Amino acid sequence: MKKLLLAVALLALGSCSEKSEVTEISVQRIFGECRANVPKGQPPLRNPDGECEIVTQILDDFEKRNPDIRLKVNIAPWPGYDQLSAQYAAGDPPDVVTMHMSVMPDFVSRGLIEPLDADFAKVGLDVNNFTPAARNGVTVKGHVYGMPFDNWTQLWHINMGLFQKAGLVRDGQPILPHSPDELLAQARQFKQATGLPYLLQPTDNERAAFTRNIYTYLLDQNAVFFPDNKHIRLDTPEARRIVELFRQIYAEGLMAPAQDYPAAMAAFLNGQGGICMVGTWMIGAFEAEANTPGRPLSAGYAVRPYPMLYGGKQTAYVDGHAWVMPRRERTPEQRAAVIRLMKFLQQRDYDWSRTGHLPTQADIARSPQYLGLPHRDGIVALATVGQTLPAGVERQIAIQDIIGDEMASAITGHKPVAQALKDAEHRVNDLLFHVL
Amino acid sequence: MSHASHKSLRNTLVLVTLIVLGFIMLIPLIWTVLLSLKANGELMRSTANAFHGPYTLENYIDILNNSSVFRWLMNSVIVSGLTTLGVLVLSSLAGYGFARLDFPGRDKLFLFVLFGLAIPEQAVIITRHQLFTALHLHNSYPGLILPGLAAPFGVFLMTQYFRAIPKELDEAALLDNASRFQVFWKVLLPLTLPAQATLGIFTFLASWNEYWWPLISATRSEMFTLTVGLAASQINFAQTSGLGYLMTQAVFAATPILVVYIIFQKYIVKAVSGAAAR
Amino acid sequence: MGARAASRQWSNALFVAPYLIAYLCLLIFPLVSGMGLSLFKADLFGGREFVGLENFARLFKDTVFLQSVANTFYFVLLTVPPLTVIPLFLALLLNRSDRTAAIFRGVFFSSSVLSVTIVTLIWRMILMTEGGLAANIRHAMGFDAIPFLSDPNLVMISMAIITVWWCLGLPMMLYLSALQQVPQDIYEAAELDNSGWFRTLWSITLPALSRTVILVAIFQCVLQFQLFGQPQLITQGGPNGASRPIVLFIFEVGFRRWDIGYAAAASQILFGIILLATLIQYFVTSRKQVSS
Repeated sequence: MKKLLLAVALLALGSCSEKSEVTEISVQRIFGECRANVPKGQPPLRNPDGECEIVTQILDDFEKRNPDIRLKVNIAPWPGYDQLSAQYAAGDPPDVVTMHMSVMPDFVSRGLIEPLDADFAKVGLDVNNFTPAARNGVTVKGHVYGMPFDNWTQLWHINMGLFQKAGLVRDGQPILPHSPDELLAQARQFKQATGLPYLLQPTDNERAAFTRNIYTYLLDQNAVFFPDNKHIRLDTPEARRIVELFRQIYAEGLMAPAQDYPAAMAAFLNGQGGICMVGTWMIGAFEAEANTPGRPLSAGYAVRPYPMLYGGKQTAYVDGHAWVMPRRERTPEQRAAVIRLMKFLQQRDYDWSRTGHLPTQADIARSPQYLGLPHRDGIVALATVGQTLPAGVERQIAIQDIIGDEMASAITGHKPVAQALKDAEHRVNDLLFHVL
Repeated sequence: MSHASHKSLRNTLVLVTLIVLGFIMLIPLIWTVLLSLKANGELMRSTANAFHGPYTLENYIDILNNSSVFRWLMNSVIVSGLTTLGVLVLSSLAGYGFARLDFPGRDKLFLFVLFGLAIPEQAVIITRHQLFTALHLHNSYPGLILPGLAAPFGVFLMTQYFRAIPKELDEAALLDNASRFQVFWKVLLPLTLPAQATLGIFTFLASWNEYWWPLISATRSEMFTLTVGLAASQINFAQTSGLGYLMTQAVFAATPILVVYIIFQKYIVKAVSGAAAR
Repeated sequence: MGARAASRQWSNALFVAPYLIAYLCLLIFPLVSGMGLSLFKADLFGGREFVGLENFARLFKDTVFLQSVANTFYFVLLTVPPLTVIPLFLALLLNRSDRTAAIFRGVFFSSSVLSVTIVTLIWRMILMTEGGLAANIRHAMGFDAIPFLSDPNLVMISMAIITVWWCLGLPMMLYLSALQQVPQDIYEAAELDNSGWFRTLWSITLPALSRTVILVAIFQCVLQFQLFGQPQLITQGGPNGASRPIVLFIFEVGFRRWDIGYAAAASQILFGIILLATLIQYFVTSRKQVSS
């Protein structure tokens, strides 16, 4: 009886102290604000597969299940780094923040984010369950610096109705090229049959897409384009081969000219081109369109990884979002709370993969639940074979900008291909040389 | 008779010109409003869908349902309002000083201020951020208001305007033994109302639409201004999948400025006949 | 007593003191520290190393930067004259106190209330070669679309059109407020003289506005040298770098590459250019005023 009383007293004391000791951590994320669609404690009213809706719901759930932790959520304008840099400069970074894997080396090299291996091990957050692409993306110099949230990559989104019309469907599968010559031949065949461009890709006001294409096809050729972390090699036969191919595609009108990102997306939705080269995040929107009767896409929509053109094994350049912990003063309780949040995020990997992004957890990637989502079986391999840039390369966003800038000039014919590659190589090396 | 018909022909011509030019000015604005009234999904397919129904207030409801929006709106009103007030006070005093009073080094000082006109924001933003970090001014109203007060344009404008007012006016008042401040306050300031109104609208507008400084100084959600808050609320690739919402944000954010314009604009062109009560 | 107004007193400086304090602390001090920064190879997160004038030497060899300087001058030439003249023309038409004029003043000011994000979004939809409003009109008339944003020779002209549309509200108001200072009796005298409208404009109104014309020209010059948001949001400086102005260069280097010493050096050059342009305009025009 005494024991029971003691236990009750302790319990009361415990719950009491628990209540008074709510740990608050600041969480900063991108993906926008959509509280209107996700009232607290309710499932999303609208757009349930949107990035914003899913992440809002996951964070709400975490708070509900962890009453001892309060999240102070700050939403930053995409991509978030101007604000984050300013917060570091002011000595006030958040406790946990979303970060692109391609940006992590910059923050690691300055010691701005913390390695998490030991913390993860302590709470049983199993890094061996990360998919290879995710694991590589968050690992810098042998340490894990973040909880990978997703990987994403560019894909070929295909209008099957137009492919059928062009005679490019066999057994219900799209016929895709295996070499540059096949690509040109099929694109010409497509254009002849439909009168439409084979490829849709933003060309105006666009840099990222060009660069990702080059990276993927350099990987296809097993080209070593970062011989070390401070140098890029682009003035090479491998790179010229790729850029000249795209230059020819553009010059022959096999790719729609003069479209920016929204125009290219609208063109694909309206059936004005065969293949839209855009990221994982568009699967949901395109699929919804394909399921709406009477729309140009309702005759069929398929998604495939970029077909390899130079005989390499299937791969693709991937990037991804991760959650990282900035180095700052915090109590052990706050630190523990951050790690608990990360573990929770790991457990909710399936929910996040509904956005179209690749899962980061191997068990989810294998699960029937995930593979039952539309088109996922065709692309899930990329979670294994997708490659990020070498983890020691800093300023990857800036590099992407420079390469994209030069590639846009070359492909649209404003600059000779060789010159553009030479300029891109020079500009990137100059940038890396001047990184402190 | 021929004089009169000449005049009415001229007036008609003026009106037609204005209507044509005005229409060109307004097309993009009408376009914005139409887009804001459309569902986002429809606009993703084609923006031409905005030319016909169905229209919806969904985007407006979404903005109003964002619980933070009123806090951001209030921050913006406070910041832009106080910045405007501060600029008007400082510029009027300085403009009067430079245009009317003599003191050692006046002309050199004026040139020194003119020099500030040439300073681009980019040349100071990083070091100003460091300064405000040292002074612990980030995430505060003073941190958002102070930078706006240093802009030299208002001083330049008010100096030019004071200079154009006939000197006899204040000399007469000074002869009546009014103090210098009284002359400034009672005699000259009322004459500068059109310039004050212009400067007021301009400052409010610039402060309202300011993006970079509030982005890097007010990093906590409760201190966001409307511009930053709305930018943070945008989903990725908002131009594609949230175009209607973006346009609604534009209409929403522009409305307070229009109100300020309407309040101030009547001082810009007073009844011309009684212009500037001479 | 008349001597009091002209007297040279330290106390008179009290009127300008409040502004000068703000000016020195918030603009001049950061400017000077920025000048210091331009002598360092510096990283946004604190690493720095003194390099003297190396950043400047690097700039003068950087073809991307040099192209951006040329682009900026071209843009200023394209925009400042129309932004000085068109608003003047509008102000002259609208300097009346009736309701029609008030409405039209509102109309011409309305574009100024939009932020650059929205201005660029709207104009993108008008100028896009594929599906833009202008392209659709051209197609309807049986012509090919004009590649406003994808032709390196046209892209700056497109930026100029957008900018003139967006920015003409403020100069118009400056002119309108200046017109309030033109004594009405002069007009009445001219009316009695039966002078023509054009003669009145030429010999009375324009001379009275000369100060404001200078103000507008200088201010627009300063403003347009700082072109940034329009190309950043519509073209990212493309195609082929043809729409990359200096400020976009500074932004890319400072905020995207975190090479803030280099960005600071480019800012100093931009500052020098604007200062020179401002002073030249100021002295040329104020001498003219004195001589006339």
